[in-house]
Amino acid sequence: MRVLVVEDDEGIAAGLKAHLERQGWAVDLAGAVPAAWAALSAEVFNLVLLDLGLPGQDGAELLHRLRRQAKGGLPDPATPVLIMTARDQVASRIAGLDMGADDYVTKPFDPDELVARMRALRRRSAGRAQSLLRCGELEIDPAARTVRRAGQLVELSAREFGVLLALMEARPRVLSRAQIEAQLYSWGQALESNAIEVHVHHLRRKLGEGVVRTMRGVGYFVPEEPA
Amino acid sequence: MNWQPSLLRNLMVWALGSLLLVWATFIAVGYRTGLHEADELTDGHLASVAALLLAQRGGQFSERGDPARLAAPGELRNHDYQQSLSVVVWDAERRVLTRTGQAPMPAYPASEGFMDLRLGDPPTGWRAFARADAGAAPRLVMVLLSEHERDALAGDIAGQVMEPGMWLLPVVALALALAIRRGLRPLHDLTRDVAALDVNQPQPRLQGHRQQEFAAVVDAIDLLVGRYRSAMARERDLASELAHEMRTPLAALTLHARTLRDLPEGSAREAAIRRVEAEALRAGQVLSDLLAMARASRAELDEATQELDLHELAREVVAGHGVMAAQSGHELSLAAPGPMPIRGHPMLLEMALRNLVENALAHTPRGTLVEVQLDPLACWLQVCDNAAAAASPTEPPAQAGAGSLGLGLGHRVVQKIAAVHGGQFGRVPAPEGFTSCYRLSLRRK
Repeated sequence: MRVLVVEDDEGIAAGLKAHLERQGWAVDLAGAVPAAWAALSAEVFNLVLLDLGLPGQDGAELLHRLRRQAKGGLPDPATPVLIMTARDQVASRIAGLDMGADDYVTKPFDPDELVARMRALRRRSAGRAQSLLRCGELEIDPAARTVRRAGQLVELSAREFGVLLALMEARPRVLSRAQIEAQLYSWGQALESNAIEVHVHHLRRKLGEGVVRTMRGVGYFVPEEPA
Repeated sequence: MNWQPSLLRNLMVWALGSLLLVWATFIAVGYRTGLHEADELTDGHLASVAALLLAQRGGQFSERGDPARLAAPGELRNHDYQQSLSVVVWDAERRVLTRTGQAPMPAYPASEGFMDLRLGDPPTGWRAFARADAGAAPRLVMVLLSEHERDALAGDIAGQVMEPGMWLLPVVALALALAIRRGLRPLHDLTRDVAALDVNQPQPRLQGHRQQEFAAVVDAIDLLVGRYRSAMARERDLASELAHEMRTPLAALTLHARTLRDLPEGSAREAAIRRVEAEALRAGQVLSDLLAMARASRAELDEATQELDLHELAREVVAGHGVMAAQSGHELSLAAPGPMPIRGHPMLLEMALRNLVENALAHTPRGTLVEVQLDPLACWLQVCDNAAAAASPTEPPAQAGAGSLGLGLGHRVVQKIAAVHGGQFGRVPAPEGFTSCYRLSLRRK
């Protein structure tokens, strides 16, 4: 999952980045509204963590602009937004949610609760109610970051799990290599040119050939019911 | 029972009291007028009868006593005002020619005209009129009427005059009470609206009270409500700002503590430990600032001001921050033409100046010139810097370290200290060579 953290406080931003990256997510940071808008205009993010008390422009302005965007382009107006702020008054929460935020946490927050809320948002935006993803004899638990095949635990690396999760969530759509990379790597992270092919190769070796398919010249996909 | 003064009751008492007084006067005058008119009436009656009898020639009164008690024939009835007159007729030799009525025999009068007599045993009062006829058969006629009967008549007439007043008084009083109650309705409405005034509503204004007598009160209440709401809004802003300042380092602390728990030994763990320390210090600094602000309010009450030299105080503060400025790569200086004697709280002023200097050092990039300037004549102190980034409100301030305070909270503290000294604090246009300037204006000594 690719997350944009819009937070001006360096301490919180660094702490969030470290914590979210340990979940296997790609995290990009923006310290103010213009930088966040530029990031949203350039890349697809699965979720935005937004602080309201930003220098210069309030975070609410970014949310307002995002929700007014036309569909089909970038920034994507359907991007889930989770507000994290020190404003704890009920009126502020209501105003934030009414502006188009999908959830709201008050600082200081429990890091695990934040991650759980982010997973729930991701689930809702993907149109799923269940926390587990099932496909044939495969069962994926995004919270525990585990994969079971016919009930047997399969050991996957963080990147392999990320690729599988991205394809499962997009199923049965085809994801290009660039789209998969965008969900796994933040800006500035070194990336081998054949990194995705290597991860897919490992996934096929561990899960079987029929789970991740290749559409030549387009990308990879997981069929509705793998052979 | 809780007896509370009531304007309605007060008005009713005064209005009905006044009405009662006027009415009582009216009734008293009516009664006196009734008596007087009854006297006039009976006197006229006596004179008329005397004149009538003098004009009559011959004839004797019958011996049947009081002529007023004769049985009335047919449909004629004795009239309420029919009086028992007594008549005595004397000839020129003072011999009684004839007499009638129940009055005891009076003495021959010494003179003609009206007189009050005491006759009989026991003596009773009689009103009499005597008139003589000096014609061919000289006679003197005296007509008498019992004073008791006359007073009864007078009382009857006076009572008739008073009676409508007695009936009208309660009716008028009731109408007056209703009118007062209705007239006070706008006041009751205003009272109800004031009681129901909720300052937390979006527009808690008193509306619909157009009476000119209420204009000043309504305007004053609206003004007070406006001020109260402004004060509440300021308090909310301050609380929100304080919450932000306190929660931010705590949130960072939580995240880095989790990093510490998750990470194995190594450089990343060391970095997280440093972060935790820095954030804890920052939280402590925010707490110190909050305490300073609380003391700024208390000091106003508890401490007396004293004479001090602000130039000397500024010199000490600038000197005390020399090492910090050198470490952060700033140039720190003081520009003052000479001593600046003022009256104030040295501890608070030092706190304010230290806050401004630390903010300037914390929120401007390396190489920035930070200068403390004093003007003894205009009685102000200002801290200016030439950082380009700080001059632009859209750019985030450069973070000099985790120990720096939020600008907002620091400025709130200085604002509070300025208010304690009867002065003002705010951003002012920067002098030449600088891009940002915050001035603390104090009341002149």
